[in-house]
Amino acid sequence: MRRTYEEINEKIKKGDAVVMTAEEVIDVVERDGIEKATKEVDVVTTGTFGAMCSSGAFINFGHSEPPIRMGKVLLNEVPAYAGLAAVDAYIGATEPRQDGNAEYGGAHVIEDLISNRPVRLQATSSGTDCYPRKEIDTYISLKTVNQAYMFNPRNAYQNYGVATNSSERTLFTYMGKLLPHYGNATFSSAGQLSPLLKDPKMRTIGIGTRIFLGGAQGYVAWEGTQFKTNAAVKDGVPLSASRTLAVIGDLKQMSSEFIRALSFKNYGVSLAVGLGIPLPILDEDVMKAASVKDDQIFAPVLDYAVQSRTRKPIREVSYADLRTGQIEINGKNVKTSSLSSYAKARQVAEALKKQIASGEFLLTQAVVRLPEERVQVPLDIHSQEEVR
Amino acid sequence: MTVKKFLLTFSPEIAGEPITYRMVRDFDLMINILRAEIDEHGGRLMLAFEGSGSQIQKAVRYLEDSGVNVKELKEFIRKDEARCTNCGMCISICPTAAYQMDRKTWKVMFLNEKCIACGMCIDSCPPGAIRLRTQD
Repeated sequence: MRRTYEEINEKIKKGDAVVMTAEEVIDVVERDGIEKATKEVDVVTTGTFGAMCSSGAFINFGHSEPPIRMGKVLLNEVPAYAGLAAVDAYIGATEPRQDGNAEYGGAHVIEDLISNRPVRLQATSSGTDCYPRKEIDTYISLKTVNQAYMFNPRNAYQNYGVATNSSERTLFTYMGKLLPHYGNATFSSAGQLSPLLKDPKMRTIGIGTRIFLGGAQGYVAWEGTQFKTNAAVKDGVPLSASRTLAVIGDLKQMSSEFIRALSFKNYGVSLAVGLGIPLPILDEDVMKAASVKDDQIFAPVLDYAVQSRTRKPIREVSYADLRTGQIEINGKNVKTSSLSSYAKARQVAEALKKQIASGEFLLTQAVVRLPEERVQVPLDIHSQEEVR
Repeated sequence: MTVKKFLLTFSPEIAGEPITYRMVRDFDLMINILRAEIDEHGGRLMLAFEGSGSQIQKAVRYLEDSGVNVKELKEFIRKDEARCTNCGMCISICPTAAYQMDRKTWKVMFLNEKCIACGMCIDSCPPGAIRLRTQD
């Protein structure tokens, strides 16, 4: 059984496409088998909603009278990077407020903008002959700016480690509050709903793939940073953090339902991004991968008390285990928490399913596939000679 | 048997009274101390009484007669449902399992009766959806 993108899109346009979420299709495959399920279903939608630190947005503010070439830019006191043309800036999600308030940062600016709240813009400049103005202090919103688009260099991690803490003190990490003596364990992937876990070799996801990003229709722009393909695999699914995506989408079309600022005590700010990808069921192999269940997807348990880039996994656990609310670590029952919201991941997959079923969202074939082989390199201290 | 939680506030003069001992001996109550603080303004004691309804009532009257300000606590925590993303970070932090995951909807339920107002969940909540209700 084979299906093309064109055939699928024709059915979507006619309103005849059969669309299911990655969770729903599991039951169909269990009941009817891969072969029959492949015939029945045209598209499977995935979803995730979790902290994705490598996120941010480009904004073009428009030109003031007289014009300014913005040097330093603050948005609600959060510095934005303005080393670009005169009135372009990039607001990074994890950038903290200048006054040291660790609970408000770039992610909050982005959420405020999406929620149509006014944001204070302060910019200074040394002034040039072509841009004489030296400072500006005003309010902007998504209504007043020219372009505002999210460009996230690393989202949608294909699998991720489970964090725990063997030490005697509480650790405050990007994986949340980790209680001492293996007091808890936190995980982050949406498992059986997570986009890249349902197409592990990325047969259908590449540059140009249309996706659901924060409520808007966005696109895969590039391989994500730290994209790697050499993680160990079980039943075709990577056993640890592996591929990632760089994605792009219009902030003006997004909803705070799917973009939420987060603050982690003693770590800082991050952005929860709701991201979903539709998988065209081209053949049985795509369906087989799309219907993998939580008990077939595994993640390594890592001890965050080890302050090193290489942590040896304590053990491997399945997402089915993690979702029971407790796992065993060194003979101890340890409570688990998810950092990404499964309820929201479902909401993303459902919203995407609805958009496809109603003909609003057509599938795209990737313009270029992402690398089949990519190794992630570390950063070491080198002399000039060594890096030449 | 009922369980009720109270906040007792007392002036420095009576901070030396063995209140909890009397609660056990005279009123046959089981006592779970949830929080205790004392400073120059006096003491604040957050505790749960377990016993018969009438004994709890008598104990409260005794405390009030002794000059202790007694306030029954019904709700410590307020979870902003619009802000909460239902991730579940609070679940593994809470020492009394007051937060539980509904495994059908994958939404986080807060069981007020289990909460002991330790406050550990508050700074663990990434979207900042949990607040301590002001108890005064």
